[in-house]
Amino acid sequence: MNAAFLILSLLAVAGALLAIRLHNLVHATLSLMFFFVALAGLFVLLMAEFIAAVQILVYVGAVGILILFAIMLTPHVTGENHGRLCSRGWIWGLAGAGAVFLILIAPVLLMAGLDTPPATAALSPSVREIGLVLMTPYGIALLVMALLLTAALVGAVVAASPPARDKDEPKP
Amino acid sequence: MVTLQHYLILSAVLFSIGLLGVLTRRHAVIVLIGIEIMLNAANLNLIAFWRFGPHLENFEGLLFTLFSIAVAAAEASVGLALVIAVYRHFKTPDVEKMNTLRE
Amino acid sequence: MPDIHPIYLVAAIPLFPLAMSLVIALLKPTRGRAASFLALLGLGVSLVLSLYVLKLSLQEPGLVQTGGFPWIQLGPLPVDFSVIIDPLSASMLAMVTFIGFLIFFYSGSYMADDPDCARFFGYLSLFAAGMLGLVISNSLLLLFMCWEIVGLASYLLIGFWYQKPAAAAAAKKAFITTRIGDLFLFIGLLWAFKDGGTLLFYYHGNGLLEPGRVAWLAGIPAPVFGLSVAGVISLLIFAGAVGKSGQFPLHVWLPDAMEGPTPVSALIHAATMVAAGVFLVARTYPLFVADPAVLTVVAWVGGFTALFAGLVAVAQNDLKRILAYSTVSQLGMMMLGLGVGGVGAGMFHLLSHAFFKALLFLAAGSIIHGCHGEQDIRKLGGVARSMPLTTVCYLCGTFALCALPFGSGYFSKDEILLAAWHNNPGVFVLGAAAAFCTSFYMTRQLCYVFPGNHRSHAHPHESPWRITAPLVVLSLFALAFGGLARHWGILEYLEPGFHAPEHSSLVMAVGLAVALGGILAGWLVYGRRALPVGEPDAVAVTLPPVYRFLENRAWMDELYMATVGRIWGALAALAVVADLALNAVTDWTVLSIQNLSRTLAIYSDRVLIDQWGFDGLCRAVRGAGFLSTRAQNGQLQGYLRFITLGAVALGLLLGWALLRG
Repeated sequence: MNAAFLILSLLAVAGALLAIRLHNLVHATLSLMFFFVALAGLFVLLMAEFIAAVQILVYVGAVGILILFAIMLTPHVTGENHGRLCSRGWIWGLAGAGAVFLILIAPVLLMAGLDTPPATAALSPSVREIGLVLMTPYGIALLVMALLLTAALVGAVVAASPPARDKDEPKP
Repeated sequence: MVTLQHYLILSAVLFSIGLLGVLTRRHAVIVLIGIEIMLNAANLNLIAFWRFGPHLENFEGLLFTLFSIAVAAAEASVGLALVIAVYRHFKTPDVEKMNTLRE
Repeated sequence: MPDIHPIYLVAAIPLFPLAMSLVIALLKPTRGRAASFLALLGLGVSLVLSLYVLKLSLQEPGLVQTGGFPWIQLGPLPVDFSVIIDPLSASMLAMVTFIGFLIFFYSGSYMADDPDCARFFGYLSLFAAGMLGLVISNSLLLLFMCWEIVGLASYLLIGFWYQKPAAAAAAKKAFITTRIGDLFLFIGLLWAFKDGGTLLFYYHGNGLLEPGRVAWLAGIPAPVFGLSVAGVISLLIFAGAVGKSGQFPLHVWLPDAMEGPTPVSALIHAATMVAAGVFLVARTYPLFVADPAVLTVVAWVGGFTALFAGLVAVAQNDLKRILAYSTVSQLGMMMLGLGVGGVGAGMFHLLSHAFFKALLFLAAGSIIHGCHGEQDIRKLGGVARSMPLTTVCYLCGTFALCALPFGSGYFSKDEILLAAWHNNPGVFVLGAAAAFCTSFYMTRQLCYVFPGNHRSHAHPHESPWRITAPLVVLSLFALAFGGLARHWGILEYLEPGFHAPEHSSLVMAVGLAVALGGILAGWLVYGRRALPVGEPDAVAVTLPPVYRFLENRAWMDELYMATVGRIWGALAALAVVADLALNAVTDWTVLSIQNLSRTLAIYSDRVLIDQWGFDGLCRAVRGAGFLSTRAQNGQLQGYLRFITLGAVALGLLLGWALLRG
């Protein structure tokens, strides 16, 4: 258990770090997908196999691919690679992130009763059970989610489509 | 053995990394990637709490995570579409150059 | 006469001329005839009332009646207006109204050709009102107020022909010179009020002149000359009389006052106003008696004035001026009489002098009128031939003036000399010498004016009846008044408790001698042959320095100009300098205040308020605005960092709350 956790967490951390530090966009995206996979593994460790599957399917299979497609299909989107990697005032960003990190782990370290062992491992929930719960009583949430996805689909298409010819703005 | 603490610290680290990316990198797509990392870290947090909680038969943690993933996917697609549209306008993915939304 | 209390009649007497003067003031200035009629009417009514009052008083000589009303209250001391009937006031009332009436009548013709005739009668009525008020006054304050009215009327009348610079100057001189006297009188009035507690003369035993009060005042020692308060007050009152009655050294205004019309000279400067000073002394006599030293002063001043004026009159060449100096001299005699003998002698001479001096002036006016305005006696002559009636009247007046036996002047002057002989032989000599001079200069004047031929080119003619009628009436009085009055006991009437001084043949002889001697001397010098034109005066030939001294009036005017005039000029220059300096100071102050306020305004407004305040505020706000807009720079990551900051803060807050709670 420990070893799997350790390896997977290291992979996740490495993947995340690389994702934000690499110059090459495609490399960064691939690193992100590694991160997703590592996280899926962690979900399995946590006996949430369904979620792990969904994570692979959605994040790796859709979001990651989507980002890759967006990068590859938009001309010169990678931008010039020389120049600064980070924006101006990145130190504040670092400080902010560090502060948030501290805020997040402060209660973890200070509170007691967090190192209880997990509950006895019953069977992980089956897909059938999850499906049943999804439909009733969380059916409304499911439907809303469907609406959301539809809206996102339409919105993405509209936002990404090039403007009509006659409404083209002259180049600045 | 792995306790909740480990998972929480892990997710905190991942979240901070994601935040760092959002606040620091100049490329718009990297900012989106950072957002995705943050969301995932939050999902990990949720699952960990579900797992180490008292009632494993309540699936709220799982369902929450499910919905979070769905929303993240929707947001990622729309976000990328917007990045493309904005890139089309500014001709550069550099967020520092995208500063016309001011007085 | 209906049964009205006599006091009301007395109080009404001055009101008629006063009312007339107001009515005349409201008339159109061209209506001279109407004005003269109104004035005559007013004074006529007063005359009738005065005669009635006189009759009452003669019936009961001891009658002293007062009446009045309270005017204002100065703290515990009341100031009243009050009038009195007693022999003094009754006799003066009758004299003033009678002579006034005659002169008003005379003026109706004399001033008929003058375009300002109405104004003349207005002033005359005003004067009459003031004089009558003065005479009946029982209050020193009321007397002083009428004194001032009379002084004002005199100024207005002397300067009646104000277009003539000499007349204007003479009016000013008269007013200012009498003012000096008035100032002392006022101080005396104030002192009397302060120490005496009242300004009323007779008031139920508490009046100023009543024995209790007089003794009280005589008992307080005054800080001046070792006199008592009564003495000082008397001296101050006498100073007022010196001014008004033209005693030395304040006599200089009287001869110049001849610039006024002749009726004015007759009424005011011969008979009445100048007599007011003598009257004042007579009225306040109990105070004078309280301190004998004062009476001596009065007598000596009077005596000296009499002689001095008489000598100066010898060398004068203007007809009216000789008469003016004669008036001064006679007034001196009256003062002398008051100083030595008492109220009776002085007042008797005043009354008789009024008649014959008025006569002389009116006759002189007639002569001047008839000789077409000629006043220089060296250019006159032959008046006897052309104006016989006037000549006769003039002679009557001269007869009385020179105190020839059985004329009016004889009786009154005799009384004075008698009293002087008994009480103060020194002034007796002065008085006798003055009488000699009187005869001398009057004879000189007669010799120049009447006999022979006229020395200038005009043809004199007799004056109309309206002018000569009053002359005749006055001549009768001039001749008869003295003897009859003396016989009927005027002295006892005027001065209750009068004791006739011991008769002295020496005095009678001396009096006669000086009177006749003067005439003789005058005739010897001037009368033996006709005086041709242009020949210098006989005295001038024999005693040139003396003549020159006298002709120039002892250079008194020049002396005054050199001393007082210079001092005043210096003070005026000083005042001008002070004024300029003060102006400079004020201007400088104003300018510096202006500058200061301007600087202050600029500084406070422009700098403080505008620059620092308003502009500063604007700049601060804009700066703050600029500062805050820097947060809105459109930098996405900047916004995100802020959000992170906020989230961290919230987290801290939550943690802190949880930790505490």
